Amino acid sequence: MDISLADFLGFLNLNWQIITMLAVGGLLIYLGTARNVEPVLLIPIGTGILLANIPLGGMVDEGGLFAVLRKAGIETELFPLLIFIGIGAMIDFGPFLERPYTILLGAAAQFGIFGTFFLAYLLGDGWLHIMNFSLKDAASIGIIGSADGPTSIYVSSVLGSQYAAAIVVAAYSYMALVPIIQPPIMKWLTTKEERRLEMPTEAKAVSQRTKIIFPIATIIVVGLIAPKATPLIGCLMFGNLLREVGVVDRLSATAQEELADIVTILLGLTVGGMMIASEFLQSETILIFIIGIIAFALDTAAGVIFGKIMYLLSGRKINPLIGAAGISAFPMSARVVQKMGLQENPHNHLLMHAAGANTAGQIASVVAGGAMLMLVPLFS
Amino acid sequence: MLDALWIVLLGMAIIFTVLGMLLGMMILLNKFLKPTKEE
Repeated sequence: MDISLADFLGFLNLNWQIITMLAVGGLLIYLGTARNVEPVLLIPIGTGILLANIPLGGMVDEGGLFAVLRKAGIETELFPLLIFIGIGAMIDFGPFLERPYTILLGAAAQFGIFGTFFLAYLLGDGWLHIMNFSLKDAASIGIIGSADGPTSIYVSSVLGSQYAAAIVVAAYSYMALVPIIQPPIMKWLTTKEERRLEMPTEAKAVSQRTKIIFPIATIIVVGLIAPKATPLIGCLMFGNLLREVGVVDRLSATAQEELADIVTILLGLTVGGMMIASEFLQSETILIFIIGIIAFALDTAAGVIFGKIMYLLSGRKINPLIGAAGISAFPMSARVVQKMGLQENPHNHLLMHAAGANTAGQIASVVAGGAMLMLVPLFS
Repeated sequence: MLDALWIVLLGMAIIFTVLGMLLGMMILLNKFLKPTKEE
């Protein structure tokens, strides 16, 4: 019998790519543990990377845990949808419903998705052919600009992009980096006078009936116009309905805690398990990470520019900074806006306005994902 | 490339249409469903 030691000793199969991925996994666990950077996500993802890249470990082979989870939770789109029920149950749409105009900022900030899609397609099959990006790959890369992990997973898996793992990791990584990415762009696009503008902290109260009708009506409106967004918006709004109806507190608590936590563990491990050295370490991955940061920058710029338009149209009553919160990185970007507003003017509390734009961005990014799923097959 | 440009334009048009309708709906809800005294 011809037996080689390399058939059963893992370390004999190490190469620079596997060692790099093991280091990346270790780095993510370190960032989550020691630096408290998105620990809920980075610790499962980092561990998933470690487990998937242990040579001969079999985690990603047919029948292995990660292969089963990927098939059951990602390819069926189950995990992102279940996560959305949890997110919906956690979100308070109150600040948004009290300030309906913020929905327009959420809409504008989605330009990052489409601008990035266009850029990725130009670099790929659309013009330059530098990279092997098809229309579907470009759309999946663009969706990094949704600043929303579950939407990125959902859209890239429905479109069948080969770069789904890199796209998801880029989306989650840059969400954690929002406090670093956004401020320079916000400062660059606004004047000191605009940033100092105070906005009223109080708003008209919204009735509980409005909060209950809103998720139901949103499902109907979004579903009828952008039906491909129905699974995502449906789960998001179902979670929110559980929160607001007031008669199923146990279900709401379960969606917010147990359901969200269980799916986060499974999703994190599976995403990490998709980062296999031979597939992940490609030049395309590096480019996707570079394009991803452009997506977040374009989102921020589009939101702030639209904020400036609203500032002018409103007779200088709307602080353009809140446009930056139109990306759906919730609640980080709202906090960034609040912090910058306070730096310029200690009486300038923009948090509730920014939170309104932030939750609007959550809805808008789901609609953008649905629009992408509608349009790309038409032109493919 | 023209296809991609169409996707950008139509995509943003869909977003503004959907969210514009939601804005109208919210304004109507806020107008007709005022908070009760208990709220």
